[in-house]
Amino acid sequence: MIWLWIMNVILVVSAVLLIALLRGVLGAAKSIVPRVDAIAGVAAAASRDLDAVVVLLTTQNYISQIVGSLANYGGSLDVALPDA
Amino acid sequence: MSLALGIMIVLITAIIAALAFFLISTIFALVKINKGLTVVIGSVGEIIGKTAPINGVLDAINSNLVAGRDVLENLFLKKAGPDAGGLVESVFPGEGAKFLQRVGRSGPVVNTGVVYTRGVGILASLGRGAPIGAAHAKGPAVRDPKYATTAAATLYPRPGGARARPKSPVVGTDSPLQYQSSATPGVRPHPREGVDVGAPASGLDPTTGRIVIRQTEHQAAAPLDQAQASPPAAGGEDGGSSRPARLDVTGKRPWER
Repeated sequence: MIWLWIMNVILVVSAVLLIALLRGVLGAAKSIVPRVDAIAGVAAAASRDLDAVVVLLTTQNYISQIVGSLANYGGSLDVALPDA
Repeated sequence: MSLALGIMIVLITAIIAALAFFLISTIFALVKINKGLTVVIGSVGEIIGKTAPINGVLDAINSNLVAGRDVLENLFLKKAGPDAGGLVESVFPGEGAKFLQRVGRSGPVVNTGVVYTRGVGILASLGRGAPIGAAHAKGPAVRDPKYATTAAATLYPRPGGARARPKSPVVGTDSPLQYQSSATPGVRPHPREGVDVGAPASGLDPTTGRIVIRQTEHQAAAPLDQAQASPPAAGGEDGGSSRPARLDVTGKRPWER
């Protein structure tokens, strides 16, 4: 009979400890959810911001034309100015 | 059934219930996390897809800019010569050494802006090839004496040296040379310095009533010699007594009647 009471005490202590651990795991899991939602919002906004990347193709075209004009300007200066 | 056994059964049941509650709650939280990560992965996939061509575009832009920079730098090196590094340093501090390294040159970089102003340095380098940048920036200013303003000023010599300038005359009461008003126009009230005091002064001749201007001996020396060489006065009331240098009231010599 005494062994049954000892087992009861052990069960009570184990239940308290188990509940405490499970509460910690549940709290950590719940804290991840809002952060994941925030990351999802930021990623969506970043994806929308990158829609302007296509404009870089136009910039590339402009720069290519400017460098061509620059080369012509340099050639004119080479003719106009005497060498050192 | 004993009391101890009953309590044990209740405890075991409570533990199983607690386990079930917390595990199920954790499962729900993990499901929410999974759904959120799915959304994030979709957005990240879009980002990767949109940024994929950026590398190629930026590489092309960079290659174009580098080509343009090389064109200008080579042209600048060709036109400015050894002063190119110093000129770049004067416009963009810290870039002179990088410029020389890019174009494969070596040597000290002297900030020409320290010695000359920007425009002067560029014009001197392009136009005259002056040896600017020949010394260290912390040293004394380097200027070509051949093209300095002092050398140019020697082209127009003036008394007192190249830098001398004629002084403005001092007039008014502070003037070192003060004049006194005379009673008769053209006649000095007092003899000048160095004139013999005993010499007869110019003025009204009481015997003839004419204004006579008497000169000193050394002043009259040359006219006297000329007068002796030239035909003397033909005569007259003062032909023999008056000196040849005297002028009558009409401003003529005695023989110039």
